[in-house]
Amino acid sequence: MTLPRRASLLGLLAVVLAAGSAVAAPTQYPLSLENCGRTLTFAKAPERAVSIGQSTTEILYLLGLADKVAGTAVWVGPVLPGYEEANAKVKRLADNDPSFESVVAERPDLVTTQFEWQVGPQGVVATPEQFAELGIPVYTSPADCENKNNAVGSDGTRTAKFTMDLVYTEITDLARIFDVADRGAELVADLKAREAAAKARIAGLRPGTSAVFWFSSAELDIDPYVAGQSGAPGTIMSLLGVRNVIDSQEEWPTVGWETIARANPTVIVVGRMDRRRYPADDVSVKLDFLKTDPVTSLMPAVRQGRIVEMDAQAMNPTIRTVEGIEGLADALQKAGLAQ
Amino acid sequence: MRLSAANLTWRAAGRAIVEDVSLEVRSGEFLALVGPNGSGKSTLIAMLAGLKRPHGGAVALDDRPLAALPRREAARLLALVEQQAETGERLTARQAVELGRTPHLGALVPWSGRDEAIVREALEAVDMALLTDRMWHSLSGGERQRLHIARALAQEPKVLILDEPTNHLDVEHQLGLLALVRRRGGTVLAALHDLNHAAMFADRIAVMQAGRLVALGTPADVLTPDLVAAVFKVRASIETGPDHRPFIRYAPPAPAPAETPAW
Amino acid sequence: MSRPGLPAARVLGLAAAALVLLLAALVFGAAVGETRIPFDTVAKAVANRLWAGGHALDPIDEGIVWNYRLSRAVVASACGAALAVSGAVLQSLLRNPLADPYLLGISAGASSGAVAVAILGLGGGLLSLPLGALTGALLAFGLVSGLAVLAGRGLAAIILAGVAGSQLFNALTAFVVTKSATADQARGIMFWLLGNLSGVRWPDAGLAVPVALVGLAVCLVHARTLDAFAFGTASAAALGIPVRRVRAVLIGATALMTAVMVSIVGSIGFVGLVIPHAARLVVGVRHGALLPASALIGALFMIAADVLSRTLLPGQVLPIGVMTALVGAPAFALILIHRPVVGGMGAR
Repeated sequence: MTLPRRASLLGLLAVVLAAGSAVAAPTQYPLSLENCGRTLTFAKAPERAVSIGQSTTEILYLLGLADKVAGTAVWVGPVLPGYEEANAKVKRLADNDPSFESVVAERPDLVTTQFEWQVGPQGVVATPEQFAELGIPVYTSPADCENKNNAVGSDGTRTAKFTMDLVYTEITDLARIFDVADRGAELVADLKAREAAAKARIAGLRPGTSAVFWFSSAELDIDPYVAGQSGAPGTIMSLLGVRNVIDSQEEWPTVGWETIARANPTVIVVGRMDRRRYPADDVSVKLDFLKTDPVTSLMPAVRQGRIVEMDAQAMNPTIRTVEGIEGLADALQKAGLAQ
Repeated sequence: MRLSAANLTWRAAGRAIVEDVSLEVRSGEFLALVGPNGSGKSTLIAMLAGLKRPHGGAVALDDRPLAALPRREAARLLALVEQQAETGERLTARQAVELGRTPHLGALVPWSGRDEAIVREALEAVDMALLTDRMWHSLSGGERQRLHIARALAQEPKVLILDEPTNHLDVEHQLGLLALVRRRGGTVLAALHDLNHAAMFADRIAVMQAGRLVALGTPADVLTPDLVAAVFKVRASIETGPDHRPFIRYAPPAPAPAETPAW
Repeated sequence: MSRPGLPAARVLGLAAAALVLLLAALVFGAAVGETRIPFDTVAKAVANRLWAGGHALDPIDEGIVWNYRLSRAVVASACGAALAVSGAVLQSLLRNPLADPYLLGISAGASSGAVAVAILGLGGGLLSLPLGALTGALLAFGLVSGLAVLAGRGLAAIILAGVAGSQLFNALTAFVVTKSATADQARGIMFWLLGNLSGVRWPDAGLAVPVALVGLAVCLVHARTLDAFAFGTASAAALGIPVRRVRAVLIGATALMTAVMVSIVGSIGFVGLVIPHAARLVVGVRHGALLPASALIGALFMIAADVLSRTLLPGQVLPIGVMTALVGAPAFALILIHRPVVGGMGAR
């Protein structure tokens, strides 16, 4: 297909789509976009994206762009329900880190990455410059670069709290890049509505309700990785008016069970995941620990069964964080903590 | 107690260091072992003390094979003063000597007043009684050597084996020490550097050369100008002292013959 | 200073004093933690558990004091004692003041074992990290011993075999980590390798305490034997010590002790190296006094290091291995400066 023809076709498509929702304007190419300190320019909407990171990939699927995704990598769990079929058609370069060459071999015209860990200044796959040399722009999830210093701490250190706005920015950016701005606006509006609905459901939340989010532990008995103030769980809790008993500003600090038990959280949220790196990755192992450990078994949250299972993806700054908001709200409601 | 060696052989890297040596140190005898450097004296002594297992032959105490004796029992019968044994531990002089009681103590045999007395005697015997609380590392080489000997004495051995015990000592202590060993009695085997010391104190002298025993007999029998020239490569005249023991007067070395390298 | 003829009454008195000191340290360990628990609560909690004191307490406070803190302090003390005694024995036996319990490749082997289980998934989930570490530690020790036997009988052979074995196992660990670990996994392993007492509970104490006690007893029985190594192995042999057998028994005992401790708490450095030197400054070089003193100082040091690691940075737990190294390295430097003679290999 020659370029002018395709451009005109896309223009037509944009007009049709814009007419459909009439929310956002179609993208004007060449498009210039600020992302994580770099300026990206697009002469046209990408046709072959390689998407590294489950959340970023799922955003593309939600934007109806599955057919534009040439390859994916870095998966932590099953794809968003409803997208199994679409996802099965997309080539999976690697479950974990793909190699630079396997990404380049797909001849992508865009690489999206959820984490600087894979593509970033010290990226294990490559640096954005390496892709730039081949004329491939790299879009990085704002959640991993805005207000976050990935050079400090093993998981990086957030200089400010993660907010859902960072995910919405990503959706909006990607929608503009792919010229599906209205679809993006729709998605953001939908997510914001779900957020608000969850919040409304527990409007009468009992004051002083608190929680701890237990992701996993390197060893079962050892100090667990729990959610600090600045990550996604911090956002989930502050949005719902729940106090996080962990004060740390780190994203996933290790905190002793002594501190957790004495803080007496109203609810304990435990991560559910397919990962089996540590024994405590298994949610049933976590539940078993809480019920058998001589101290945690005495915690009111445990004795009264206020333990919430939550998908680990929802506990990370992703498109699924909204599910976390809904999940915690449901649990609080079921526990009779909200009128 | 008699210490005997039958056909002892020790090899290293295919070369015999000690070859087919048989000798007997008679009960109560002071036997001096002499020979140039590298003649196998120290290796022979290590085998006689049970520290090296011979590649051939056997050592016996009276008629009991040394190899069959438990080490502890052997250490109660036989003590060894090594050349230049050193330590980095912060031991006192007395503690170094107390180690000599090791083979006599055990889980059920604690330190006693008798052990205390033996250690004191040993320290006095080597003229170190005034320095008992000094740290090992603050002592001179000679003082350390005297403590090694005191430790061997504290073992109350029937047989005392000394490997060049006078190395670090001044003349007074060299003579004093050999006189002490001689006076104490018991069976003594001492590797000595100084042929005149051997002549003065030993009942018999054994001469080693290139791993073999080349002479064994009384000082007067063994120390002849020919043997000294053949084994030690020095010219000497032998005189007889008032005690009827030989005395060796060395001559300044002549220019070495062309076919014999100096070493 | 332990003269060989120390009166039995004084020995008993010293032992009682040591025990009191140790108990005080354990209570101190149970009283200090991430959160503040009043001291009388701590005392009542211990009384409730030990002799059914019947004090009414918040069960969570009581549980924390008894199940988390006290078990942890007990394991810390057992581990500190075992490592310090192992260090003292190896320094004397190998006549090397730099010898420590990890010299024999135990720490490196434990790392490899832990990595093999955590990253490669060896053992198919049946092996936990500590069991993997124990297996790795024993494997490495076996290899090092075999190498030492093949290389000859000297002390140098043992030390060199230890260095070679450690290098090999460190390389294996690095290989596995580089090849297949993610940052998260590497962090988990590092966390564990630097030493971690946070997961310690009473069952661990049930393993650590008997092992430390038996190990200490085996070493104490050989106290006089170890004294006899002061002037080297030939001298020890001349004093009636069956050198090879003693060496095998004691190195084996220290290796087992260390491997078990490493498997419970990770590899905690500097305790085995520094504490024996500190103990020598206090009680001298006789092993009859040095070994119990090393055990006591090691136990106290470890409890203190654990308390510091939990309280130094508010809201954050430092790996205890970092703590022991932070305190141990300068202490070692001080000891070196105050030691008039450096060395122990002997002049020749």
